[in-house]
Amino acid sequence: MARAQWWRPSPGTIVAALEVLLLSVFALLPLALQHFWVIFVTRVLILALLALSFDLVWGFAGIMSFGQALFFGAAGYVVALLARDAGVTSVFVVLPAALAVGLALAFLVASFLLLGRNPPSLTFVALGTLTGSYAGDRLARGWYYLGGQNGIPSIPPMTAGPVQITEGVAYYYLALAFLIAVYAACRFLVGSQFGLALAGIRINEARMAFFGYHVQLLKAVVFSVAGAVAGIAGGLYAFHEGFVWPNMLGVILSTQIVLYTLFGGVGTLIGAVIGVIAIEIVSFVLADAYPTVWPVILGVLLLVIILFRPSGLISLFVPRRTRVGVFGLTARRPRRIPGEVDGAA
Amino acid sequence: MEAVVTAVFEVLNFGAIMVLVVLGLGVIAGMMGIFNFAHGEFVLLGAYTVYLFHTWTLPIWLGMLAAPAVVAAVAVVLERLVIRRFYAAPVIAMLGTYALGLAIRESVRGLIGGLYRAVPEPLPGSFDIGAIHIAKWRLAIVVITVLVMVGSYLLLTRTGFGLRVRAALENPSLARASGISTNRIYAATFAFGAALAGLAGALVVPVFSLSADLGIRFLIQGFLAVMLGGVGSFEGSVIGAGVIGIMSAALPWAVAPVLADVLVFVIAVVLVRIWPRGLTAGRTV
Repeated sequence: MARAQWWRPSPGTIVAALEVLLLSVFALLPLALQHFWVIFVTRVLILALLALSFDLVWGFAGIMSFGQALFFGAAGYVVALLARDAGVTSVFVVLPAALAVGLALAFLVASFLLLGRNPPSLTFVALGTLTGSYAGDRLARGWYYLGGQNGIPSIPPMTAGPVQITEGVAYYYLALAFLIAVYAACRFLVGSQFGLALAGIRINEARMAFFGYHVQLLKAVVFSVAGAVAGIAGGLYAFHEGFVWPNMLGVILSTQIVLYTLFGGVGTLIGAVIGVIAIEIVSFVLADAYPTVWPVILGVLLLVIILFRPSGLISLFVPRRTRVGVFGLTARRPRRIPGEVDGAA
Repeated sequence: MEAVVTAVFEVLNFGAIMVLVVLGLGVIAGMMGIFNFAHGEFVLLGAYTVYLFHTWTLPIWLGMLAAPAVVAAVAVVLERLVIRRFYAAPVIAMLGTYALGLAIRESVRGLIGGLYRAVPEPLPGSFDIGAIHIAKWRLAIVVITVLVMVGSYLLLTRTGFGLRVRAALENPSLARASGISTNRIYAATFAFGAALAGLAGALVVPVFSLSADLGIRFLIQGFLAVMLGGVGSFEGSVIGAGVIGIMSAALPWAVAPVLADVLVFVIAVVLVRIWPRGLTAGRTV
């Protein structure tokens, strides 16, 4: 070969380069954008936070959660109620409250779905979380105290002491700061011994159990942590939009987040962020131009990605092997014979 | 007395609709291990077919006869192109069928202009016995459901085709080794399940009127019914659908409607958690 391999970056370097690139783009973006676009990108950042929470459970621990929006929406509703009925809008109270709500609710769901004597099947957890999200949506729709169909409108702006954090540049940096902090924490988490154990559970749950890991407990822990992340995102979203409504809890949002993460690439963290950004921006542009055709195109696009690029957009840059815990295993997944009812899949 | 009879009939009616939806879902889930998120959209397609016949000023009942065939045809194409690739991966199948459903649902939404479209009942009027009024069409739904149920049961247990289906369900490798083309059986089963969904959609469209979100309301209840009854069994699907249908129609009479709606889901999930293999666990066709 004429061109020697004088510089071939390792996959880790590429991921790091992507992260630095995205970070600097987002740090400088408000300087170049108009107010309207700053608000739009803030929304995307908050959704990226929600996508991170999903990637944590599915991409790393292999728990299929179709219900991340439940924690997102529940936290949103709680902070909205705090602001409406208790007049509490301080950022130092509402965001920890949102986190706590997400954590507690996720722990409740996890302890019912995941803990217990007979370990649940993958499909049961998927459908259980889906049902939770749907039930939450229905409850919020029918409950007068929560505003029913209309949700809770005109939440007062978030405050930090005497200062109001209104939507715009200030809120943008608040959301970005949270995204960076959560991202860094997730990155640390998945690289730690705990993260490796999670990857082990994803690849071969029975073997991890034989090693003496409390598999169900680890799953419940990561599920709760992800719920806390979704909760923060929900709190940020509620104050940013200024209102909460039942769709924030519902199945549509839950599934969207799953598909966006899949589109970007699961199990890489950065893939989740890229997926949300890519789809939200394309969707915003195209939904305006072709409001009826766009959702159809989106469906087909997602289907094509799922069929032909199962590791998502990120796999254009880095090989699949970089995913934590995959190593050389990708090619040798045991083939499941159709028709067998799955136990652990 | 009249109120009780009316209530019982309402419960029966909703249970019947659930059974139709869930039969198809259960057959596909049991057979291929796929929880078909596009099932609600098959229901929608069935309803849409009837609506099309109505706009062409053809008789409604003709549309109802055509709907299962149309939906089955669509399903065969989708199975060959898409679903076939999901057999080895149940979770990816959920996501893929969801994306598929999204595309179908939004197409229909575009075609009907995002509105509610009413379709008249093919059998208007009601039977009046004293103060009790029973809508003829709702009674017809119950009767048709029973006929379809018995027909499907006989098809599965009394015919050569049914035998091959059960063989492919029980032990796919052995079925293949015995010269049964499991691929074809899967395609046929998928089409059959979709046809049932199409029929359900066609029958309920006069009652609920056509909108793009018609199918979604049945989907999650359908999944729970399948799991509650036990994946991979015919009776399980029927029993699960009956339990869920009756619960969701009867609970609003007992507790506040807001709570009843959510309570159905909670009770169902708890029951499945306790009996992961469903109510019929193993004792099946």
